[in-house]
Amino acid sequence: MNKAIFFTICFFICTPTWAKLNVVTSTSDLAALVAQIGDDKVSVSSLTKGTRDPHYAQAKPSMIRKVFRADLLIIIGAEMEVGWLPALLRASRNSKVAIGQLGYLDVSDYIELKGKSLEPVSRDMGDVHAAGNPHYWLDPSLGLVMAKAIAERLSQLDTDNKEFYQESFAQFKKELEEKIIHWKAELKHLHGEKIIAYHTSLLYLADAFNFNIRGYVEPKPGLSPSPSHLKQLIKTIRAEKISYLLMEPYYEVRSAQLLQRKSNIKYVIIPQSVGANPNVNSYFDLFDNIVAALKSVEK
Amino acid sequence: MKLEKTLVLFLMLGINMCSAVCAAQSISQQNKNPMDIGLSTLFAAGVASKGNETISNLQGGGHDPSKIGFTLQNLELTLGGAVDPFFDAQTNIIMLLNDDGEAIVEIEEAFLLTKQLPAGLQIKAGQYYTEFGRHNTLHPHSWAFVDQPIVLSRLLGGDGLRSQGARVSWLSPLPWYAELFFGIQNAKGATGGSFLAGEHGHGEESETEDAIEYSIDGPEDFLYSARWLNGLDLNDNVSANLGFSGVWGPNANGVEFNKDLRTAIYGTDLYLKWQATNSSRGFPFVSWYTEYLFRSYEEIEEDVFTRKDTGWFSQLNYGFKPGWVAGLRLEMADSNEHDKHAIDGDERFRTALSLTWLPTEFSKIRLQYNYDDAHHVGEDVHLLWLQFGYNLGSHAAHVF
Repeated sequence: MNKAIFFTICFFICTPTWAKLNVVTSTSDLAALVAQIGDDKVSVSSLTKGTRDPHYAQAKPSMIRKVFRADLLIIIGAEMEVGWLPALLRASRNSKVAIGQLGYLDVSDYIELKGKSLEPVSRDMGDVHAAGNPHYWLDPSLGLVMAKAIAERLSQLDTDNKEFYQESFAQFKKELEEKIIHWKAELKHLHGEKIIAYHTSLLYLADAFNFNIRGYVEPKPGLSPSPSHLKQLIKTIRAEKISYLLMEPYYEVRSAQLLQRKSNIKYVIIPQSVGANPNVNSYFDLFDNIVAALKSVEK
Repeated sequence: MKLEKTLVLFLMLGINMCSAVCAAQSISQQNKNPMDIGLSTLFAAGVASKGNETISNLQGGGHDPSKIGFTLQNLELTLGGAVDPFFDAQTNIIMLLNDDGEAIVEIEEAFLLTKQLPAGLQIKAGQYYTEFGRHNTLHPHSWAFVDQPIVLSRLLGGDGLRSQGARVSWLSPLPWYAELFFGIQNAKGATGGSFLAGEHGHGEESETEDAIEYSIDGPEDFLYSARWLNGLDLNDNVSANLGFSGVWGPNANGVEFNKDLRTAIYGTDLYLKWQATNSSRGFPFVSWYTEYLFRSYEEIEEDVFTRKDTGWFSQLNYGFKPGWVAGLRLEMADSNEHDKHAIDGDERFRTALSLTWLPTEFSKIRLQYNYDDAHHVGEDVHLLWLQFGYNLGSHAAHVF
């Protein structure tokens, strides 16, 4: 009887040691990488959905509960989650995933971020992150760095399965390196292509596949496009003969449609994250779908 | 005199803060913030169909714009962060200008929060907003409307229910989000209108705080609060919060007549939010939020008489495109007060319509129309407010 009570209490109070490592990630891309490396040794869930801009999430009650029960919290970092993670960490009171603990992994610590500002950042400039541009998962070679950081941390937290994680990372690395060659070959015709992006979020993607971003639909990061800015953009598109406008599915399409009507540009909706549309279920799917979207548009 | 001293203190703090901000900026470049510093400001301008005397009675909230012309509603300095691995802390110092243009300084909140307690427990201690309902803990810059709901101004006080004390909360291991809060706070304080700050048992905030002498003779002289908050995602697009709250304590009328007279307030709140599958900057969304409150207040008229107050508000907000929110709020308040012309106890109905534009996360411009039908005024009152708000410094949390 006493034993039964003890175990019941233990079940509620301590994390049962026989359970799988409970991993919570801030974005669906991180969750996809964890699933790739951890497979059935971990249970993983993402706090945000791939259909939404993770910067604008809110600390919902269901998220508090997830973080409260997590063994490992993995985030993109570089101020991506600045609007909601501090409140979430505070409410979920889980000391295992507090900043600085083994259960807290900020993947941006492992990435050489682009767009780091050497000069002081002012909000005059719009939504600019002083720490650097946080959209690094869109460079598949950085996906490898992310997976490595994840595999290392999983190995540290769950030493019993260390070999498993290292093996699945090696497998992932091999597969990804082959795929990168394939994706680059598929998009070879766009090498050096001038493009317009909706937001500064496509910087890493552009660099990875050698697109040349000539302008943005947003006048400043995070600001809605104004008529005068669009007018100016049409001039640029015409003058430089730009053919592609790349944008995420969650942005309004009216500005893109206007640009398409007024110039020869074609807008392409890029699934920017795992889960952005129902076909994108893994990190490999993500680039397969981006490549397919770009190939489907004829010049 | 007291005020001047606090003012000087505030200014000195402000000067120190300036250097702190500069330091924080250079440090934040290295991505390490020892302290988050933010300043949020709300200004409003208004016109109305009645004079200032009427309006100031209708706009019962401490931060409500309450006069024709311009009002600095709230100037709030927020300082917060990790104290050490064991505690977080937050302080909100606010300043506003009264009708005579004099500055008023308040310590809105100043509390410690534990981080390392086991079993989902957390303690908050210091000066803080009582966790009663949803709106009471929101700072004015997070409100969806220019002013505070009537029933909250009446039952929880113009500045909201807040005092010094401590509360423990427990995040339960239930399969949905369920959190329980229990708190004990001083019943006296400028902001406990239903308790020992009230002058004559009408829940009005006392201007002369020292009017009531009272001593603590036992545990019955404190304010006790409890809240049960539940939350879950109904599906990928809809999330819900449902809460039940109660607060109990002695009241000022009892102290005045040397009797143990008690106040009890109960409330329930429901919040539902829908967000589109593909959303940009959090838009489009629809949120629906309703709160109902009931108060029983024992007071002495020939014999002990229990005054009963009720009220509710229900608000719908529709973020129809990035940066744009349209809002509708309906509210009612009433009591069994014999004098049906009492400002704080008459039958009251109010409707508000609002349109908010948020150019970025850090600024907003809000237009709001109030239709106010208060029994004590005797005729309908129309009010129109234009509000401007901004945040400087650290990134304010996105409110769910």
